[in-house]
Amino acid sequence: MTTPAIRIQHLTKDFSVGIRGIKLRAVDDLCLEVGNNEIFGLLGPNGSGKSTTIKVILGLLEASTGSCEIYGKPSKQVAARRSVGFLPEAPYFYRYLTGHELVRYYARICMVPRSEIDRAVDSVIELVGMTEAAHRRVGTYSKGMLQRIGLAQSLVHDPQLVILDEPTAGVDPLGSAGIAEIVRELKRRGKTVLLSSHLLAQIEGLCDRVAILHRGKLVQEGRVDELVEAKDAESLVVEGLSPEGRAAVEATIEAQGGRLARVEKPRLSLDAYFLKEVQQRESEHAKKVRGGESL
Amino acid sequence: MSPLDFCTRIRLIAGTTFLEAVRQKFFNSLLLISIALVGSSTFFQQFDFGAGELKFITDFGFGALFFFGSILSITATTQLFFNEIENRTALTMLAKPVYKLEFLAGKFLGAQLLMFCFTLVITLVLSGILYWRESALLDRLGDEVSLDGPLIRYGDVFLFGFLQWLKFGILAAITLFVASFSNTNLYTIVVSFFVLVICQLQYIARDAYSGMEAGWERLLVFGLGLIFPNFQLFNIGDQLVFDVEKALPASTVLQITCYGLIYAVVFILLAQVNFRRREI
Repeated sequence: MTTPAIRIQHLTKDFSVGIRGIKLRAVDDLCLEVGNNEIFGLLGPNGSGKSTTIKVILGLLEASTGSCEIYGKPSKQVAARRSVGFLPEAPYFYRYLTGHELVRYYARICMVPRSEIDRAVDSVIELVGMTEAAHRRVGTYSKGMLQRIGLAQSLVHDPQLVILDEPTAGVDPLGSAGIAEIVRELKRRGKTVLLSSHLLAQIEGLCDRVAILHRGKLVQEGRVDELVEAKDAESLVVEGLSPEGRAAVEATIEAQGGRLARVEKPRLSLDAYFLKEVQQRESEHAKKVRGGESL
Repeated sequence: MSPLDFCTRIRLIAGTTFLEAVRQKFFNSLLLISIALVGSSTFFQQFDFGAGELKFITDFGFGALFFFGSILSITATTQLFFNEIENRTALTMLAKPVYKLEFLAGKFLGAQLLMFCFTLVITLVLSGILYWRESALLDRLGDEVSLDGPLIRYGDVFLFGFLQWLKFGILAAITLFVASFSNTNLYTIVVSFFVLVICQLQYIARDAYSGMEAGWERLLVFGLGLIFPNFQLFNIGDQLVFDVEKALPASTVLQITCYGLIYAVVFILLAQVNFRRREI
């Protein structure tokens, strides 16, 4: 049996509030396992305990009770964090460094061997699509670029587990799609990704499994398809059906004991429609630029 | 993890802390004000109540170094610590395989590097002015006085600077300790200044202690004298610079250095105990 990337058992985290030390429970008896090479979504509204759970996983907070392990090592041990990369929500970095210097700095902090630093830095910068902007100061970056360079710093020491806290918060749909593509690429490279978000539409097509938290408690956990599919209904998508044919289908359904609940046109999500339109124009623009350069 | 890795990470964190610090307008403003004040000391001699010109300039320079250095040490350490917490760069850093002690030690060394630059610049400016005035004085007096050597021991000006830098180190460590349990910049700064005043006046407690009879009061004063470092030990400028007959023995300098280092290390370790429990 392989060791899971993350194993959380009966995790409870209380905070003392005010002078009288009133207990506020942020996470309540949480049990969770994240398997290897999985994209796992931690979902929930604000204040549901997602960030607290992540902080306990990263050893930044100590659990009140319960335990948390990363690849079998207690998460509060510094050694456990060698195999973890982390991108915080709305990351802020030293503004006077260039993107390249920043990633290099974190590579050195993570003790990437000197002989491998240049290759590691260039490789992650290329992965997140920041090669052209890597020599600009971080202070000049847009929010999407900050997220990308943040991703690069989290990956530079080649961690097996990557934790992303609200990676697409405040990023436009195009940027979000780019980040989602990087996450998929990480999975292809055999990494495990844990991401927290409340932007459910973006998570839906990305995660293998999700857990939903509410007021610190685990409400649901499972594969996305299993959780969202309607168990008692099926849909048929039909093209080129005449009115007579449709009447015949409806009659057959009734004859077989079924009931036609509704008939509707298949829809693209607004997210997907937006991406299709913008990406099409982006590729046309890129072709024009390339054409202009070749002239 | 090897001790070499431990040192490398501390050095890297100290490096960025120092770069952050020198980019702060506050540091540059305070440095310029201090240089201007030390540089202008020669024009303030109408306030010289009979003491010699060189002595006045030295006292003025040492006073400026202590006053502005203390302000800079406390405010810069506070700001450098809270910037990391508020901007959440600490979150990114501590999510890496980095010990909290490494983070605090890096912050401390970065702040101390800043104080080293400040102390060095002020000491250089002060030495330059002293040399200029000493040369002018000797030219004016000519053969009226016969001297075996220079009026001032310049090496001791730098030795005084070094001792002040050590004192700033204890102050920075105390500030880090206060910051480790405090939630705001202001609280940290106010409490640290309060501790600075106690440490400056700690000798009064020591005097009281020596005159007390055995009992719980004596024990209390003794305890307080142990908790708060005695900053008067570092204020030996007059003896250093002018008393040509009695140079400060190297063993005394070494003792003061050890005294300073022990307090700085103890306060950083105490800060780490608090910081481990702190939510970031």
